[in-house]
Amino acid sequence: MTSRHLSDDRLIELCMLEAPSMAEQQHLGSCCQCDARRARLLALLDDVSDVAAAQADAAFPPERLARQQARILSHLQHDGRPARVITFPAAHAYEPIASRRRPGTRWIAAAAVAGLVIGLVAGRFGHDYSLGRPGPVRAIVARAAGAPEFRAAGSSGTIREASTDLSDEEFLSEIEIALDSPTAAALQPLDDLTPLPWEVR
Amino acid sequence: MPLSRDSQLAAEIKALVAGGERDAARDRYSDLVARQQRRAVRIAYQYLRDAHDADEAVQDAFVKVFTHITSYREDLPFEVWFTRILVNACLDLRKSRARRLRWAVPMSSATDTTPTDPPTRDQSPEQRLVSTERAKEIATAVESLPGRQRTVFTLCHVAEQTTAEVSQALGLSEATVRVHLFRAVRKLRRLLERE
Repeated sequence: MTSRHLSDDRLIELCMLEAPSMAEQQHLGSCCQCDARRARLLALLDDVSDVAAAQADAAFPPERLARQQARILSHLQHDGRPARVITFPAAHAYEPIASRRRPGTRWIAAAAVAGLVIGLVAGRFGHDYSLGRPGPVRAIVARAAGAPEFRAAGSSGTIREASTDLSDEEFLSEIEIALDSPTAAALQPLDDLTPLPWEVR
Repeated sequence: MPLSRDSQLAAEIKALVAGGERDAARDRYSDLVARQQRRAVRIAYQYLRDAHDADEAVQDAFVKVFTHITSYREDLPFEVWFTRILVNACLDLRKSRARRLRWAVPMSSATDTTPTDPPTRDQSPEQRLVSTERAKEIATAVESLPGRQRTVFTLCHVAEQTTAEVSQALGLSEATVRVHLFRAVRKLRRLLERE
């Protein structure tokens, strides 16, 4: 063991974590190479800790530390104390909620609820109704697909005809192809800005 | 193993709080804050690289320590318990900073770095050291370490904790702590050592 040079990891351990064994001490005493490696590593680590300490100390001079300590202690002083109850002026004394409510507000609330119900019913009806007929978008796509100039472009692969009977697999592969196109790269900053579902809580 | 002075102080504060003597406990706690504060800001600053965030994390950690002092176990060194709370405070702050940055429009590319003031005649020795070329190299190298490696290296080297203590503080196995430490030192050596 002592005749072989010390490994890098062992040197790190000796510089940071443990004292060398007797055999290692003897080796370091006789092997200039290992001793120099250890000295270099020690100097490097000293430099790093000096700089780390100096950076923190420069950012936190004694006055800042004193202010920090005062804030901590003041926070603790207020901690655990019951909250102060602020008395309101007599003019705003307690009144029953029902008496403060103006009669007009009931009508506003009723109108809002009625509007919501009508909106939901109309939306549902409109949705059901549109399922049976070609909607405006479908009609446009169908017309575009039928137009000669689009048929020509579609054959070259630049515009694909919209199809309503795609399977899930085909649909996903269409998305992948679209994402590989160079124009999708322009949307990358927008994608970066958008939180992922698991990041939103 | 004899308790450190800080562990003894923490045990006294715990007893005072348990006995309902909160004011006396707070007085004793100010001594403990004064003893640990410098070390705490060094760890937090090295970890967060931002003075405001480090300030907030340290304050948060000290307040949490006092609030939960009754759960302090006297068989553990106070430094280890405190460091664990401090590291968690730093992690929380880092997460919230990442969330903030995600929605913030960058004003300039230099917003995240410590502003470099022009050298003045009344610079402290620390400021003079920090402004040297070598210090900048070292700071950049440490900053380039992956998060876990930097945390472990900071705790082992700057906070001078043993790998066993760091493993307790971070909830990692001691072997994992050693692996991160070795990788961190190897990388720093590669970046900084001059033949």
